[in-house]
Amino acid sequence: MKKRILAALISVSLVAMSLTGCGSSAETGATGDQGELNIFVWTEYLPDSVVEKFEKETGIKVNVSTYSSNEDMLAKVKSETAGAYDVLNPSDYMVAQLIAQDMLQPLDFEKLPNFSHIGESYKNPAYDPGNVYSVPYMGGAGAIVVNKDKIDMDITSYADLFDTALEGQLVVLDDFRAVIGMTAKSIGYDMNETDTAKLAEVSDKLMELKNNVVLYDSDSPKSALISGDCAAGMIWSAEVAMAMEEVPSIEVIYPEEGAYLFFDNWVVTKESPNSENALKWINFVMEPENMAMILEEFPYLCANTDAIELMGDEYSSNPAKNPPADAIAKGSYVENLDASTLDIYSEMWTKLKE
Amino acid sequence: MAKRSKHEFKSNTMPAIVTVGPVAILLLFLVVAPLIFVAVMSFCQTDEFYNVVYKFTSVNYGKLISTDYLKIYAQSLLIAFITTVLCVLIGYPFAYIIARTKSKKKQLFYMLVIIPFWTNSLIRIYGWRTFLGSSGWLNKLLMVTHLVNEPVDFLYKTGTTVLGMVYCFIPFMVLPLYTAIEKLDGSLLEASSDLGAKPVKTLFEVILPLTSSGIFSGCIMVFIPCLGYFFVSNILGGGNTDMIGNLIERQFKSANNWPLGAALSIILILVTLILVKIYQKLGGDMDNLGV
Repeated sequence: MKKRILAALISVSLVAMSLTGCGSSAETGATGDQGELNIFVWTEYLPDSVVEKFEKETGIKVNVSTYSSNEDMLAKVKSETAGAYDVLNPSDYMVAQLIAQDMLQPLDFEKLPNFSHIGESYKNPAYDPGNVYSVPYMGGAGAIVVNKDKIDMDITSYADLFDTALEGQLVVLDDFRAVIGMTAKSIGYDMNETDTAKLAEVSDKLMELKNNVVLYDSDSPKSALISGDCAAGMIWSAEVAMAMEEVPSIEVIYPEEGAYLFFDNWVVTKESPNSENALKWINFVMEPENMAMILEEFPYLCANTDAIELMGDEYSSNPAKNPPADAIAKGSYVENLDASTLDIYSEMWTKLKE
Repeated sequence: MAKRSKHEFKSNTMPAIVTVGPVAILLLFLVVAPLIFVAVMSFCQTDEFYNVVYKFTSVNYGKLISTDYLKIYAQSLLIAFITTVLCVLIGYPFAYIIARTKSKKKQLFYMLVIIPFWTNSLIRIYGWRTFLGSSGWLNKLLMVTHLVNEPVDFLYKTGTTVLGMVYCFIPFMVLPLYTAIEKLDGSLLEASSDLGAKPVKTLFEVILPLTSSGIFSGCIMVFIPCLGYFFVSNILGGGNTDMIGNLIERQFKSANNWPLGAALSIILILVTLILVKIYQKLGGDMDNLGV
């Protein structure tokens, strides 16, 4: 009998081992003179040099932890003790979710004079009317990417990606809201469609994509384009910019239907024990000179119009780095769906991956 | 009065607590408690913010009966099965050679199986992706030797997933086989040959039956973890063919339905337990699994 229990434990721990992911937790460093600040931000989104500059200028000890999905971030913030993180960097729909769950504190704009550098079109977003809780940082689009050397078809819309001529050529984000949203847009529906009859049509349309896509990758979709394994697709605009630097025949296209957009924001947690420092940080990042340092390393779409001026032509005239204003105006964001609709989305995705 | 050693204990309780206790506590907290938590969660609901609400429902298990999930289960079982068969076919001759060789290089061969283990499997799988890509070394070689004119698409196919799986799990097959084959008494093979059996007959009537325990444990060691290895199908399969592991991962991340993910995990655990049960019924020894 004991052996059987052991057998059960062994097999179960094998399963457990094979399912565990990896993660990092917030470091708790020594408290400096000016206190400390715990920042929780996306991976590959904040250069160390900028953090070091902030530490040097203010004497505040900064601990940076990173995440690679909004849901991961939310789960970690909830499972840690209250106040483990001061500053978070959630995307649009996640800001709305955090506000609805009363997890953020209103920002004191008297301490954020650099907010004036943010472009008017980025202020007062739908997910946080009046910027009560959030300040926009960087974002981008789910842009169409095409390697012109390999594809001579004229691609102008998401709908074109469903063409059978592209069989076995595409890389798309491994993100079901992005891909299903793109599919809905391609047949004239909303990015956040909730109507079940329309969603059934979207589901059928989605299956047409199955033969075209060879790779689902959100982490580094540019790699497959650079290596030549894929010739077109729908990936983050900044990833297109990086691919263009390696392969000149790669181009970025913003779809006629309007692109899928995302925007990440700085917010302060409700229980933050260092909220003064958190505001200092947010104000520091909004300083055009500092924001430009960040853009040099991570060329995303930026809300800070004064920082863009510092960047010069190479950044501002590159449509993959700095998407044109009309592409942004036409685009749409992911919104929170009720649980039963989200289940429909998830089932559609499962069907695609069979 | 019997002479008692100074180091002998009066009862067995203390030594048992000291030696087994820490491990038992560790298992209790790190294996049993989380498992109970997963089991409880699989019967829970979610609220409007996708938080887990501790209110009973069996709806999660009802969802699992959908044909889509069943297809993915079947797909995973098939991939795991093919991987296991290939591992036996490749691993057995290899294990036989290193176990029976009289050469001094025996230790070296053995180490060659183990050494790749020292590098993280994720990195090795990314290595395969670079190697097999359109501009990878394999295609370069094929082009230089004019075997092909255009790069061959090796990547992002179910076959590539199986290749990655076989590569990852072959040591799990070779090591138990090696142990079993090494125990094989050489005089039995001589006897078989003396009695007129041809090599093929010796293989099927003597060698394979005597080493079947190694084959069984190797198969279990490969098949079970294979079901949960989602990153191989993500990286080499391009995410086109989901495994059970992908499905579970998605529920805990983007789909944000933890109770459903928990229910999927419980089913995976049950499948695993059933397989171990079958293994025992077929006469497998649990000790052989602890390579």
